[in-house]
This record gives sequence, C-alpha cells and structure tokens, in this order.
Amino acid sequence: MTAVIPAATVPRRAWKNTSLGRFFRNPRSVAGAGLLLLFVLLALLAPVLTPYNPNSLQFDAFMGFSAQHPLGTTALGQDIFSQFVYGARLTLLVGSAAGLIATFLSVTFGLAAAYFGGRVDEAINTLINVFLVLPGLPLIIVAAAFIRGGGVWPVILVIGLTGWAFGARVLRSQALALRERDFIAAATVAGEGPIRIIFVEMLPNMAGLIAANFFGAALYAVLSEAGLSFIGVGDVSLVTWGTMLYWAQAKGALLQGAWWWVALPGLSIALLGTSFALLNFAVDEISNPKLGGGRLKMPRRTVSAAGPAPVAGDALLAINDLNVGYVTPTGTVRAVRDVTLEVQPGELLGLAGESGCGKSTLAFAATRLLDPPGAVLGGSVRLAEHDLLALSPEELRQVRWKEFSIVFQASMSVLNPVLKIREQVYDAMQAHGVTDKAKLDARARELFDLVGIQTSYLDAYPHQLSGGMKQRVVIAIALALEPKLIVMDEPTTALDVVVQRQILQEINDVRRRLGISIIFITHDLSLLVEMSDRVAIMYAGEVVEQAPAHQLYAHPAHPYTQQLMNSFPPMTGPRTRRSGIPGKPPPLSAEIVGCPFFERCTKRMPGVCDVKPLQTFPVAEHQTAACFLYDPTVSPALKGNAIRESQINAGQSNAGQISAGQISAGQISAGEVSREPARNAKLN
Amino acid sequence: MSQPVTPSSTEVQSPPSSAPNTLEIVNLRKVFGTRGKAGGVVAVNDVSFAIARGEVLGLVGESGSGKSTIARLIAHLYTPTAGEIRLGGQPVPNRLGGAALRKFRKHVQMIFQDPYASLNPLHPVRYTLSRPLKIHGLARGNTDAQVGSLLERVGLSPAATYIAKRPFELSGGQRQRVGIARALAASPELILADEPTSALDVSIRLDVMNLMLDLKDQEGLSMLFITHDLAGARYMSDRVAVLYAGTLVEIGPAVEVIDRPQHPYTQLLKSAAPKPDAGLVPEEIEARGEVPDLKTLPPGCPFEPRCPHAMPECKDGLPKMYDVGGGHTARCILHDPAIRARKQGLVGV
Amino acid sequence: MSYLLRKLGIFVFTLWVAATLNFILPRLVPGDPVSVMLAKYQGRLDPSAVDALKIAYGLNDLGSPISQYFTYLGNLLRGDFGRSISLFPTPVIDVVLRALPYTLGLVGITTIISFVLGSGLGLYSGWRRGRAGADAVVPAALFLSSMPYFWFGLLLLYVLAFQLKWFPLSGALDPFPGDAYSAGWWSSLARHAVLPVLTILVTSVGGWLITMRNNVISVASEDYLAFARAKGLSEGRIVNRYVLRNALLPSFTAFGMSLGFVVGGSILTEIVFSYPGLGYYLYQSVTNLDYPLMQALFFFIALAVLLANLLVDLINVILDPRIREGRA
Repeated sequence: MTAVIPAATVPRRAWKNTSLGRFFRNPRSVAGAGLLLLFVLLALLAPVLTPYNPNSLQFDAFMGFSAQHPLGTTALGQDIFSQFVYGARLTLLVGSAAGLIATFLSVTFGLAAAYFGGRVDEAINTLINVFLVLPGLPLIIVAAAFIRGGGVWPVILVIGLTGWAFGARVLRSQALALRERDFIAAATVAGEGPIRIIFVEMLPNMAGLIAANFFGAALYAVLSEAGLSFIGVGDVSLVTWGTMLYWAQAKGALLQGAWWWVALPGLSIALLGTSFALLNFAVDEISNPKLGGGRLKMPRRTVSAAGPAPVAGDALLAINDLNVGYVTPTGTVRAVRDVTLEVQPGELLGLAGESGCGKSTLAFAATRLLDPPGAVLGGSVRLAEHDLLALSPEELRQVRWKEFSIVFQASMSVLNPVLKIREQVYDAMQAHGVTDKAKLDARARELFDLVGIQTSYLDAYPHQLSGGMKQRVVIAIALALEPKLIVMDEPTTALDVVVQRQILQEINDVRRRLGISIIFITHDLSLLVEMSDRVAIMYAGEVVEQAPAHQLYAHPAHPYTQQLMNSFPPMTGPRTRRSGIPGKPPPLSAEIVGCPFFERCTKRMPGVCDVKPLQTFPVAEHQTAACFLYDPTVSPALKGNAIRESQINAGQSNAGQISAGQISAGQISAGEVSREPARNAKLN
Repeated sequence: MSQPVTPSSTEVQSPPSSAPNTLEIVNLRKVFGTRGKAGGVVAVNDVSFAIARGEVLGLVGESGSGKSTIARLIAHLYTPTAGEIRLGGQPVPNRLGGAALRKFRKHVQMIFQDPYASLNPLHPVRYTLSRPLKIHGLARGNTDAQVGSLLERVGLSPAATYIAKRPFELSGGQRQRVGIARALAASPELILADEPTSALDVSIRLDVMNLMLDLKDQEGLSMLFITHDLAGARYMSDRVAVLYAGTLVEIGPAVEVIDRPQHPYTQLLKSAAPKPDAGLVPEEIEARGEVPDLKTLPPGCPFEPRCPHAMPECKDGLPKMYDVGGGHTARCILHDPAIRARKQGLVGV
Repeated sequence: MSYLLRKLGIFVFTLWVAATLNFILPRLVPGDPVSVMLAKYQGRLDPSAVDALKIAYGLNDLGSPISQYFTYLGNLLRGDFGRSISLFPTPVIDVVLRALPYTLGLVGITTIISFVLGSGLGLYSGWRRGRAGADAVVPAALFLSSMPYFWFGLLLLYVLAFQLKWFPLSGALDPFPGDAYSAGWWSSLARHAVLPVLTILVTSVGGWLITMRNNVISVASEDYLAFARAKGLSEGRIVNRYVLRNALLPSFTAFGMSLGFVVGGSILTEIVFSYPGLGYYLYQSVTNLDYPLMQALFFFIALAVLLANLLVDLINVILDPRIREGRA
C-alpha cells in the first residue's frame, strides 16, 4: 500500500539525467556536433562530391564560377571545389590526430602528476608551467622550419607535442581533487592496485573533461596548422584548407578578384573551429554543474485567495500557506508545502528536520533569497508591516538587513576572500545609509566586542580567521543594523562542539539583551530543544508539529517527533538498544496523498492517514500536529488500535529492556494514550 | 534480538586471555608537510592503544585532532613517520607493497564518513562489492550470489533490487550500508569506521550503528569507531579514547570515560554537548580560545592554553598517562600524587 | 615572498628551456643547417657570412657539444646573437631591437584593450545569463575566436584597404612620414596600425569573453555572493567588489597563460600586413632560412611573453590577499 504516486515514469527521467541525455538537450552541443558531422561527411564523401583530383593542374587558371567548376579554378588550374572537399580530409586529420596526441599527453601527465604526487608531481608541474608560457606558434614555426617537408605527420607531431600543457594543467587539478575523494581511498583499502585505480576509478570520472580537452586541443591544432601552412612552413604540396590559403595568398587571389578562394577555406576553418569550440564549451557545461543550468520557465506565484498576509495578532513574521518548488526539466519538486508559521517579537523559533525536508528552502524563500530554479509557488510572507513577497527589488534591498538578516550554513565561505573584514562589516551599514566613517568604525568595534572577537581582526582578510571566528564575524554583521529578525541556517553545524557551544551562548546573550527574534534552523533536535522558545518540526516539506520547546520535549505529539527524539543516543543512564526510523522520506517530486510520514509511521491508520488530505490539529495549548491521531473526526477505536499495535511492536523489539528513566517509543505512546481523553474532551 | 550493549570488561588494556589483541599501535606518529625538514604539522603525536578481539574502541575528538589520520595510518593509506602497528600481535612493516599489502588489506577494512563520496558514482553496487572478493581470491565463479548475501547481511533485502543500482539511485542510509558491505566483503578482523554516521540523517544513524553492533557480535569483529559525538561513542563502544591536537589525552571503559571524565578536555567536550534533558538551561562552559595550530604546539600539555585548571607545571613537557583506576587513564598532571596533594580541595577532578 | 621567488624561479627556468630548445633544434636537423643555407644561397653568400654561420653553429668549434652549449649560453648572456644571414652583416640584435617596439606597441596595447573589452562583455554575459542578448554573445564569441587571425586580417585588408582604400595596404609607416614623433608621423603610424589592431582585437576578444563569463558564473554561485545580496547591497557594489574582484583573479591568470597564443596570432597578423615587428621578421627569417635571426627572434618573443607573465604574477599579488601570504 502506498501513498506515493510517482510524478513521471522513472526510465524517462533517468535517461534525461544522464550525461548523454543532457548532451542532446544542450543546444550548443547539438549545434557543434551537427557542424562537425557535416564536415566529416564532406571529407568522407569527397570522391562522390567531385570528379576531379584536387592536385591535377589540367584546367585553365582563374576560371570563374561554372557548372563544371562551381568555385572556379586556382592560379595553377586546380578545381577549387575539389581542393576544398579533399582539403577537409587532411584538415580533419590534423585536428583529430594532433588533438588526440595532445590529449593523450595531457591525460598521461595530468594523471601521473596527481596520482604519484610528491616529486613526480613537482617535476611534471614545472614542465607544464614551462610549456604553458612558452609561446606555442613561434616554437612550432621554429621547430617546423627545421623539419621541412615530409608530409602531414611531422606537422601533426609538432602541434601535438606543443599543445598539451593547458589540458594537462586542467586535468591535473581535477585528478588531484578526485584523488582526495573517499572512493579512491576506499578502492585502495579494498586492495586495488594503481593501474585499476587510475583507469577504472579515476579516468572514467574525468571523461567529460577529457572530451572537452580533446575538442579544445583539436581547435588549437586546426588553427595552428592553418597558420603554419599559411606561412609556408610544413608541407605545402599537401591539400589542406591551410595550404589552400597559402597558395591563394602566394598567387595573389585577392588581387585577381578570386576572393572566394581565400574566403571559403578560412570560413571553413572558422566553422570547424567553432564546432570544436561549441563541443568543448558544451561538454564542459555538462560535466561541470556549476556552469550548467540553462533557462527554465519560472512559474508565477499564485497569490493566495485570502489576499496578502492577514494580520494575525502581533506576530513579527507571519508565513502563510507558503509553497516553494524547484523547477527541473523533469517537473517541479515541491520542497515546501503549505507552510504556515509565525514568529513573535523576541522569540527564538527552532526549525528542525532532516536533510531535504525543506527547512533551508523555507528560510530562503521567506527571505526572498531563493535562486532559480527555486521559486515561490504560492502563499505570503509578512514581516512587521512589509509584505515580503510583494516588495519591488529596490524596496526589498532597503528592507534587507535593516529589518531582517541572515546567517548562512556555510559561513566558512560567506565572506568575500579578497576584501578586508572591515569593508564587509561596513558595506552592510553603508548600504542602509550609515556613511560617517567614525560612526562605522565605532559600530564595528562595538559589534566585535559583542560577539567576542578582538577588534584588530577588522583589518584582517577572511582566510586569516579560524572557522569559529568567521562565524562570529558573520553574526556581528547580522547584528549590525539591529534587525528585528535574524534567520540562522545551521549556523554552527560546521564547527566543533566546544566552539559551537561558545557561539550559541553568545547568540543567546545577544538576543535576550536586544530582544531580537531568531529563526534557528538545524537538524540537531536536542540542541534546538535546549536553545529555543518554540520548535517547529518539518518533514517532507510540511511543518508536522509546533510546540513550545519544553512541551515538545516532554510530550511530543507527532509520531515523527517521537521517533526522532528517540533517535539520539543518551549521554547518561544505562545503555540499551534503541532504534532509528526505518525507511526514507518520500520523494518531493511526487504528489503526496495524505500524511507524508505514513510509510515510516509506527502508529499509522491505513484507510485514514493515506487517504485524507493532511490537516493540522490542535493537540494542547500552543501545540499543533499534522497527524490524524488528533483528528476529532477519526474514531477513537481506530486510534487506540494503531497505538496498541505500535506498542506491541515496540515491546517485541525492546524485549522488556525498558528501564526506569529511559525515554522510549513505548513510554511516549503510553503517555499519549493517557492524554487522549482529556484532549478529546477539550476539543468537543 | 537486541540486548543491552555489554559494558566491556575493564581490563581490556591488557586483555586477560592469552589471545593477542587484534590491533596494537605503539607510539604512532605522523608529521605532514615536511620532506625531512623541521616545522611540519604533527597530526598524530605518539599515540598508543590496543583493540582486543571483538571489541569496539571509540576514538573521540574534534576536527583536526588527528582521529581520521590515525585510521588512515592503520589502513596504510598514509605512511607513519614513526611508531609501530601490530596486527594479531605481529608487527606490520610501515612500508608495505605488492602482495604483502594486499594480504594486509584483507585483514583491515575501512568504512568512510560520507557515503556520497566513498562510492564511485559510475560503478553499480555489483561491481563495488565483487571487487574485494576478486582481489582477495574469495570469488567463487559468478559473484552475484556472494554479493547478494553481503547485501542481505547489511539489511539491503531483497538483494536483487539493489545489486544493479548505482550510488545516485540509493539513499544516504542505503549507500552507507553498501559501504559497510564492501568493508565486510573480504571478511576482515578489524574495521576502521571513520565517522560512519555523521553524514547521515539523525533518523537513520541509529539503525546504521545497530547494524554495525550486530555485525560485530555475529562475526567477532574488532572495530575502531571514530566520532566527534560523545553520546554516539558511548552507545557504540566498549572503550573510549579521547584525542586532542594529535595527542591521546584519556582512555578507558566507555561509560567510565563519558560519565566520569578525568581529563579537563574531556570534561569540556562533555559540557559542550547539547543536553535537552538537563533542564533546558544552557550550561555555561569555561574554555578560552580554540584548538592550537598544530605547527606551533606548546611544549607542554597541548590543552594548557585553554585549560581552566592550567598551572605552571603544565608547560614542563607532555604529561604522562596517569592511571585513575579501572583501566582508565588520563594525561593530566592533576592526577599526579604530588600535585594532587598540593591542590587538595581546590579542584574536584 | 616565497610565491614571487617561486615565480621568478619558473621564469628563469623557462627562459633557460627556451634557450636550450633554441640550441638543440638546429642540431636535430639531418645534415647541418649551414650546408642547407649554403645550398639555398648557392654561392651568393659572402665568405665572411659563411664563417659567421659556422661560428654560430659551432661548426668551427671542435669541442664537445657540452662546451659548445656553454659558449652559446655565454654569448646569449652577453646579448651576442651573431649576424643575420639575409641582412648580412647586420648583427641580429640590431634587427631585433628595431622590430621590438612595433610588436610591443601593437600586441601589448591591443591585448590589453582586448582583455578589458572581452572581460567586460564576459562580465555582462555571465551576470545576465539567461537573457537572450547575454546568451547570444557566446556562440558569436566562439566563432570569432575560432577564426584564423591571418585570414580575418586578409579579409580586412581586401575589403577596407584594397577595395575601399580607407587604410594603407602594408607597413607601419608611410615611406616618408616626416620627422619622427611629429604629428604627421603619429597619424601615419596610427593609420597603419588600425587594421592589425582590429584583426587582433576581433579574433582575441572572444577568448577573454568566454573565460570571464565562466568565472562570473562560478562566482555567482558562491555563498559570499548570496550573503552580499542578503545584506541589501546595491547591484553596482555587488558587481564591483564581489563579482568582478573574484572573477578577475582566475581570468588574470588565464591572461598570462594565453599570451603565448595571442603572440602567435599576432605574428601571423604582422605577416599579413607586412608590419615590421618580430613576427614579420620571424617569417622573413623562416623563408630566407636565416637561422641565427630566427632563433634570436624566438628567444625574444619567449622573453617578452615570460616577462608579461611575471608582471601578471606581480599584479596577482596585489589583487589576491591569499597569494600575498603564500597560501594560494
């Protein structure tokens, strides 16, 4: 029995997400491949396309266009069209062969440097640096000048041997990054030897970059060959587009008015080069997700029928029916679903949930920091008197930091590495009208005192600070304009426990002193219960429970909260086995009918929980839960059944190990049963 | 069926039986970033401990304390600068290669922190799990049946639904189970688990820990369980060792060390851990500064600059490990009888 | 400091490699270059030129290749590159010094303009990614940078100089430009420079554009950018102090590395326009088999590129505080 209906058929989505699928959806790679295919066909079909030998001098010189000679003839009486068609062969050969040689060298040197490290790496890296800065074409010219004639292969060799350094540099740095990945260490520990590690573990993961590198090298080779041929270095008796240009120039084609003799081979080189460049660019884009992501159609936000932000009591922040999604090529992922939350002035609201539950997306959407492909699909957010989702960009800019500020999860990287800390503290204030230098300085010092950093660090750069100090700087910046609300997204997750504790204490001090509201987001429920006034638990994009922290800790209402609380091993008491929550959250791309926790829930009521649309019910004063156990319209017998069953299961797995002072699933549910009648009475 | 985690016998430091310890490391040292020159980073500073057969040793420390480096030294991913590693009582040469290294790898396997990073994204589960079987000569014809039973053992059943999947098709918990299965494939005696649950969601951590405990019980595995979470170490381990700045500062039975820490650093770690059941009052903790730069460690106790109990003697060289009874030792001169006598009544360590 | 020392070390080492390649290449040729040249000039060579050639290639030196090599390095250090064969008896160094200002002026100025222009367009294209205009720039840039320099130069020459006669056909100055540095002289210089400048500009601007665009896109996904926006900074400030400052660093490094390639293209451009710079003489020396001149020109081109790279490294120190502390 399932409450999850997949939004799209799986195989199709899987194909669309493969590199090959993305290759064929990328307009640049399609254009590049098409163009290249055209030239390859031209080269392959040369004997079909033209009856003449490109070298035969049988015709008159400088003949114009005719049916027999669609592009006329050269000064030596060769058919230009057949030269052009056959020229494609050698030009492509030079491009691909020299590209292959250069790529082979790049891969060999790059991988060897990264894999062996140490002295080998140093030696290769020096070699790479030398070849990078040595001017390539002059070197090729000088080298080729000494090896005159001899056909196309000397040219290919010289170009290949001089054109590998750039690729080697790129591949080396990627291989170095790859080498640090745990799966390489894991393969080593499993007993794999170096050959297999390089060729089976590392190389396939670099395929995209190697392909991009090949196209880049081929482009370089085609242009180099053209340049060499043009100045007559290399073998000008061969027919390539480069040598065509050489003869056209040598025989004064332009002066004779035969401009197409010059224009056609050059344009073809440019187009062939463009196709290589397009492929290089597209493959790079596909294999580097940072560069990827084209245009996506953004859905417009549907303003809720209730109109913007009903003013509810004296809440500082009111989030109403907020829906947020990520638009992907395979459909919309609904990351935040119908969330309604309030934050009171001076309150610390804890927002807890596991990865992917939508807690960060909620924070980003509510503060309008969500980047595409994320988009607000509906609902409203009101902060004090501002309707945040309706503000114009300039209004938003003015409200930001003055009314609310944000402390990010990844504080290690939120400071601009090239600006002094002072400038980054100042610019937040300057953007909101504080321009007096003395005032800025005084405020910056005051803030640093507040969060416990020496003011001398104002003139440091971010890399000179430890992780804990950077996080304090960010908190100091967040406090700069004394906003009414600070959103903190896992502000201490990356820090060590001791430093984390120090910073949390400072946050607590400051907010009590200044009366600031805080939304504190973390996956660490025990920390949150300790810190917060009130806690909201999120699961699969929904807020499933809200309660004052002590209430949530003592009497968690939602089965998810209960099971989550039990997932933390205790620091004290006898050691007993506990169990986590089996299974995983439903995919957010799916339409979820009923309760999203249904499949993992120990107290589920089939026929109710997986059928009825999810609703939030009051549980106690200030406590609500999105769980049908608290639905007054569901029969008490059904609820009792579900709870009994879960107790039996818990009893089985715990086999009488529950000792005094232990909190376990069994006990929580017992407490719940006892509270059940009272609540029902109150609701009725 | 589950049962209470048996508190270890307290004398594991030197096990009673004549059977040799699965692992002993003696004065293990690793210095990074030098090529014979002075001024490197001392990541692991003369660490010694032993793991008995069937025992889980929890190795606790903050990032940069050297706990992962120790695991990688034992796994021969790094070469020790000095010291000795013994496996089953036999010294393992610090430089190993070829067949000897492969033989060593059969006995010592590793579970990594991040299951997203520790599985090659391009290889299906079948490949990842059959490789150790083939490398160590355990494969019997088509390995699918063997891979299937490995998957079942780590709770991925029915195995047929997982065997052809690639990592991106698995959830975090499932991936980590594949990682555990890979470590089990060669039937090792020792498993080095480097923060195997810290990258997982809270709700699935316990199940992965339970799986590891079950496997340990069923197969008599020894395990080094590395973590920064005291509660997790207490749940998983028979004994716990605490590292600070590359130095072992305390070791003893898990419940002893965590319930009654004897080193000021362990006490600090414990007081910093979140305690929702402690009456919801954030506890004030006393510690200055942050972990020292490993390039310029103070000559004495590495924790001295932050220690609330610091005294001049702390700077006189690295303190020795003092026995505080019950197989529990701590590297702090507060346990020195002379200093104890002098400071009587002042410090209640 | 150690960063600069390392860069200086690489500079010296690379220069040494260039010099050594210069020494080795002629000696790899089957037969000796002197007889090749003698064959080409068919007795029209001055006997003293033949002697000079022999000296240049150590053919009169009966010592080992090692001692020849050290003699060669010694000559190099003294700035003695021998005498040109095609322009005998002009010392090679005189030819080089005569050509150098033209190349430095043409390539140097054009490259800087091209870098600034390309990076500016790349900044626009990357920052406004997703808009039609910003995205259409990409294929255009790829096409422009795939054109052979000399071919585009030929087209410009044909249309603008030959057909329309707006610009002179060749050279750097009119035959009689008037007194050096007079107004007429400058205007003649400028008119001759327009087409070569345009050629290098159009064909090299695309490369900088793509590089900068990719860097901007990378920077745009950095956390510090989201933080800057959250702070409510104005767009101008974000682009200036956050995007540009960070995206320029890798662009700048790429600038140094691509210089060699640009110089290669400029050589061809000089040839097309008969612009009397290093590239033009390199071409002349290749067609005339004037090996001493060819080698000296290669050495000086390498030297110029290496010096420019060193300059880029120096500026990087100023731009990036992390490099300043040797932890890049």
